[in-house]
Amino acid sequence: MDKIHDIIIIGAGVVGCALARALSRYKLDVLVLEKEDDVAGSTSKANSGVIHAGYHKKPGSLKATLNVAGHSYFQRLSDELDFPVKFIGKLVVAKKENEIEDLRKLMDRGFKNGVKGLELIDGKQIKHFEPNVNGFAAMHSPVSGITSPYLMCIALAENAHLNGVDFVFDTEVTGISKEKEIFVVQVSNGSIYRSRWLINSAGLNSARVSQMICENDHRMYPCRGEYYITDKVDTLIKRLIYPTPSKDGVTLGIHITPTLDGNILIGPSAEYIERLDDTASTREVMDKLKRESSQFLPPIKEAKFIRNYAGIRAKLFHPSSGVKDADFVIEEDESIKRMINLIGIESPGLTAAPAIAEKVVGIIGEKEALVDDEKFNPERKAPVVFEHLSDDEKARLIEQDPDYGEIVCRCETITKKEVLAALNNPLGVRTLDGVKKRCRAGMGRCQGGFCTPRIVEIMTDEYGISPEEIYKNNESSNMFFGKVKDDREEG
Amino acid sequence: MAQERKIICILCPNCCELDVSYEGKEILSIENDRCPRGLEYASEELFNPARTLITTVPIKSRNWKTVSVRTTKPVPKSRIFDVYDEVKKIRLRAPINRGDIIIENVLGFGADVIATRTVKE
Amino acid sequence: MIEKKVDIAVIGAGPGGLAAAVSAKESGADVLLIERNPFLGGILIQCIHDGFGLHLFDKNYTGPEYAEEMVNRLENAGVPYLTNCMVIDLNEKKELTVVTSKGLMKLIAKAVILAMGCRERTRGALEIPGTRPAGIYTAGVAQNLVNIQNLRIGNDVVILGSGDVGLIMARRLKIEGLNVIRVIEILPYCSGLVRNRVQCLEDYGIPLTLSSTVIDIHGKDRLEAVTMAKVDRDFNVDHDTTEKIDCDTLLLSVGLIPENELSKKAGVNLDNRTSGALVDNFYETSTEGIFSCGNVLHIHDVADYASNEGFFVGEKAAEYAKGKWKHSGGKPVKIGNGISYVVPQYIRNDCNEVELKFRVTQPFENVRIIVKNGDDVVFKKRVLKVIPSEMNILKLKSIDPEKDVEVKIVIIDKNIN
Ligand SMILES: Cc1cc2nc3c(=O)[nH]c(=O)nc-3n(C[C@H](O)[C@H](O)[C@H](O)COP(=O)(O)OP(=O)(O)OC[C@H]3O[C@@H](n4cnc5c(N)ncnc54)[C@H](O)[C@@H]3O)c2cc1C
Ligand SMILES: Cc1cc2nc3c(=O)[nH]c(=O)nc-3n(C[C@H](O)[C@H](O)[C@H](O)COP(=O)(O)OP(=O)(O)OC[C@H]3O[C@@H](n4cnc5c(N)ncnc54)[C@H](O)[C@@H]3O)c2cc1C
Ligand code: SF4
Repeated sequence: MDKIHDIIIIGAGVVGCALARALSRYKLDVLVLEKEDDVAGSTSKANSGVIHAGYHKKPGSLKATLNVAGHSYFQRLSDELDFPVKFIGKLVVAKKENEIEDLRKLMDRGFKNGVKGLELIDGKQIKHFEPNVNGFAAMHSPVSGITSPYLMCIALAENAHLNGVDFVFDTEVTGISKEKEIFVVQVSNGSIYRSRWLINSAGLNSARVSQMICENDHRMYPCRGEYYITDKVDTLIKRLIYPTPSKDGVTLGIHITPTLDGNILIGPSAEYIERLDDTASTREVMDKLKRESSQFLPPIKEAKFIRNYAGIRAKLFHPSSGVKDADFVIEEDESIKRMINLIGIESPGLTAAPAIAEKVVGIIGEKEALVDDEKFNPERKAPVVFEHLSDDEKARLIEQDPDYGEIVCRCETITKKEVLAALNNPLGVRTLDGVKKRCRAGMGRCQGGFCTPRIVEIMTDEYGISPEEIYKNNESSNMFFGKVKDDREEG
Repeated sequence: MAQERKIICILCPNCCELDVSYEGKEILSIENDRCPRGLEYASEELFNPARTLITTVPIKSRNWKTVSVRTTKPVPKSRIFDVYDEVKKIRLRAPINRGDIIIENVLGFGADVIATRTVKE
Repeated sequence: MIEKKVDIAVIGAGPGGLAAAVSAKESGADVLLIERNPFLGGILIQCIHDGFGLHLFDKNYTGPEYAEEMVNRLENAGVPYLTNCMVIDLNEKKELTVVTSKGLMKLIAKAVILAMGCRERTRGALEIPGTRPAGIYTAGVAQNLVNIQNLRIGNDVVILGSGDVGLIMARRLKIEGLNVIRVIEILPYCSGLVRNRVQCLEDYGIPLTLSSTVIDIHGKDRLEAVTMAKVDRDFNVDHDTTEKIDCDTLLLSVGLIPENELSKKAGVNLDNRTSGALVDNFYETSTEGIFSCGNVLHIHDVADYASNEGFFVGEKAAEYAKGKWKHSGGKPVKIGNGISYVVPQYIRNDCNEVELKFRVTQPFENVRIIVKNGDDVVFKKRVLKVIPSEMNILKLKSIDPEKDVEVKIVIIDKNIN
């Protein structure tokens, strides 16, 4: 491949996707290389999905400023790109009187960071806001919100793709060199890609990727956060419920997050682990999550759990070193020109992503003139979500297309038409998990029990593939080993 | 020489754990049976154990990929996989009616293999 | 929008719903049966093994054969039905919203019979730690993939849970040439029927390990192994007994849960013990004119019983639709020692004949099943063995509905006996 791209982005997490979208408004040839089979294949799918207000990071840090700036983009992005956001507000709950001091400090940081609307409320007001929550006092942050992290990544990437950015999946960057000012990027299947700019948004791998060519001593200390997901329990809480942050500063503590679909997330825990990809859940933490969450939301004990998952924080420090926090690294390398490293993008990375993207555009814009692409279309339409429509709209759609009249996923009421739309997604993702992320089929209480056989059938028909070619999320995760009995006819 | 075996009778929910002693084709004694059917069952199990084979056959049809099939009566237990191998060779096309004979007198055991579901098209 | 009125809407065409539709129609009501699948028969279509119909037809049918017999009865009775149509909403006023390929339908019924069946407990509900690779299936999904879709789901299989579906799948997979390594059960006894344990596992030399469970799952993309460990009576894991078993497939056969999402929308109160509706002895739920039968009410181990329940409920719903009797509520049945649940949970005050279905909490040997009505013992039976996987049914001919009814197990003292 001799083509020289203007920019190659390594990694299609939320940062890579936001950046691809931000760059797609200019006349640039942008390529994204991603090792997984889909966008949001790593940390960007396994987090709390919270749009943070921005009160918990040190004033003046990149984390604080980019959080607050990032927050301000969400409503517009959601309007343009049709992914869900909801500013449901948050309560940071003090269980005892002595925690009020910590809440005050948090409020103070918030004011310094420019967060709007923060207020302290007492136990009675907590009950008024959230009858099921126990607490002595709380900080109420009305601007905190939630989104679906993978729908956000998909929306950003689809719009970037619509505006000319190419995404190549299943392609891990394995080596980087520079020949005559051009980056030569080697990937897992032996191919080579070239570009003038190289942006490293490889998440947990960002330190390693940077060290493929740059000299620096960044080191990643993976810190796992495990979660539980409950079945739909819309009525339990309306807002995000957080404990007063732990003094060690490692995390925000185990919190309770309502999702856009009416489920509740409990988590994340925080355990430093050995491997960057060890997202296994553990018994000890699962027990701890239940115990801690029920302290301020007792009825959660009764909730039915449908799944667990874990995400890994890209920490640049280990608490044993005495360091309490490390800021985002967002910079052009000093000696390798036009190589921009984004390292240690941990929480609030999802919230900050749109602002991180603009910052990177700024770094590039300082070096060369960025020309607006007059054909840039800022809008992207999400596929129809049948369940969200009124009865009249549902009736109209079925009349237009009978594929809306077949419900495939019974727990989430997903129609065949929605599955087909997910199968034919603009990015060309063809895995079972890819379908699930896009239309929620199989995400409900039966976890794909009723719909998996039918989706498999629809996939083999629509793609004209055999069942062996159906993968959960990548090419080693095959679902089937051929047929029970070969179905060729005799003779 | 007399031999001993434990056999669980499955003819009724009592599921007696029968202690049987036998020689050649003759039962010498039976214990723990709560009713006379236990003896009947034990002698079948000892001297003629047989099972119904149930499996599927791939088919060409508009909506279905398989039709389920079974033997009309039990076949010798030790030969179940031989009967299976016979069924495995079969491919069918709709329409198929429930009860259609797919293999007559399979391997000479006196049982037919029949379809257990109707597939219209 | 398509609008329609009927006397009785039956939701779900498994053995329960089919029977309910037939008997409601035969009792003179105008009935519509609605099924989500493209075919009638419910879960039975994928249960290709035999063991069905012994009670109802006095024959040993396979699931599909049993279903066809029931469908024949439906067609003979002339019951109209819809397939490929899913009920997505139901309210207290007995208005149903149905998705059909022709459009959205509003159906207004005088009475509704819930017969939606059940779903399986999943890994999430079990909370097994570890990675989340491909290759973990619930037994019923595996049954569908293998029997209906003709798909080979793996090569080396471990089955967690000795429920009937798991035992049956162990044999199915073995026959189709897969390597079934073992079945692992957390309880100190096999939870499926003895018949299935003998014919599905012992016949094929598949080991069953009791008092053990899976405590970890390995493999990032496709399952590579599971870790098994022993547990004590309170299910505490003994970490000194772990054993790693290489496998690419794990089937879960760890229980069924009545599918009551629609029932909840209609305000139907559920029983914590059965996860099904609370019903009186006419099988009417807490929402007037809404009835429930089959696996959505409580899990049946035998399809014939689900059908029998359906036949009874169809008749009662037809009577209700004609105004023969009114919603009553009734007196709760008391659950005594050794009993895990009783259906119906209430007895109407206008009946003195009732049928009680119940399960025991654990296996018992040589005990008495006793039913008291007030201070009187109205039923007494000595049984050699009762196990939780078998549902017990008993008929009481003349009780006083004004007095409490209590079901319990009494252990017979061997010395006195
Ligand atoms: C438990 C947890 C909870 C969190 N909660 C929140 C929250 O509520 N709100 C919030 O704002 N933030 C939250 N965060 C932080 C947020 O999730 C991350 O900051 C954000 O997802 C990081 O995005 P990213 O694109 O940098 O990284 P990633 O999502 O990890 O993306 C990097 C991508 O690069 C790919 N890649 C890696 N190496 C290579 C290679 N060699 N070649 C090609 N591709 C490669 C990876 O496959 C991956 O897809 C949370 C994080 C965790 C762990
Ligand atoms: C795997 C398995 C093996 C079994 N083996 C045996 C055996 O060997 N012998 C035996 O006697 N019994 C056996 N049983 C038990 C027996 O099959 C069940 O008791 C019986 O099927 C229950 O019948 P049902 O009508 O309640 O439910 P189901 O058969 O589950 O039928 C429910 C129907 O309702 C439909 N439905 C659900 N929701 C909606 C909606 N919203 N709108 C429209 N339709 C809807 C479903 O699609 C389904 O067709 C087995 C059960 C299972 C699950
Ligand atoms: S011996 Fe008789 S009582 Fe015992 S299990 Fe067999 S049939 Fe039942």
